[in-house]
Amino acid sequence: MSSSNSGGGGYRDGGGGGGGRDSGGGPRRSKFGRFGAPRREVLPEEPLEYKNSPYLAKFVSANGRIQSRKRTGFSGQNQRKLANAIKHARLIGLMPFVGRA
Amino acid sequence: MQRTRTYECMCLLDNREVRKGWDALKNAVSGQFTKHGAKILSSRRWDERRLAYPINGQHRGTYLLVYFSADTNAVALIRRDMQFNESVMRTLLLECEEVPQGAYEPEAAFDVNAIPSDDAPAAAPEPVPEPMAAEESHEARTEA
Repeated sequence: MSSSNSGGGGYRDGGGGGGGRDSGGGPRRSKFGRFGAPRREVLPEEPLEYKNSPYLAKFVSANGRIQSRKRTGFSGQNQRKLANAIKHARLIGLMPFVGRA
Repeated sequence: MQRTRTYECMCLLDNREVRKGWDALKNAVSGQFTKHGAKILSSRRWDERRLAYPINGQHRGTYLLVYFSADTNAVALIRRDMQFNESVMRTLLLECEEVPQGAYEPEAAFDVNAIPSDDAPAAAPEPVPEPMAAEESHEARTEA
């Protein structure tokens, strides 16, 4: 039993270095939001396709930059779909590379 | 090893060529797929709209959406041929899992003479109603 506690390699005990709590495993993101509530995954309301440029435009800043996961709330998979769809829409002339259309 | 897969290709066509005749241009573009052994499942006009940025000096363009099945080896040849075609300004060729049902519907009538001029001014941007709505709600709150 004691071996399971000590030898488990938890990031707090097994980090080896001094410093803060999370120093063992590199940069860690909090699984909580800023005010302590757990983050909830946001699901896209419409398909994340390059043809659906009006919906994709909601996730682009005024300068044309793709919003981060922190702002969209999408899962990693949906965020990748979003980024790819926006890039495809830019290539074909449906969305601007810079600025707002 | 060759495998047959389904692809979708969105072609951005030059409106100067579209005005000369839609059916002839559509057949010419479709011929570039069949030339390399592709089987066209659906080929229809997707939209005619203003571009987000000028391409080849054009501010408007017509989109042709083609679904086809082809050998994986033929895709590179098709892509190369599309680049050489001067009436095709941009191409986006992607693999797709299945053809949507709407793609098999007959194409709507398309009058090439109704295409707006490239010099036509852009549509006036819609007024943003959010600040007004916020003010109204604020006023309503203060009145209450």
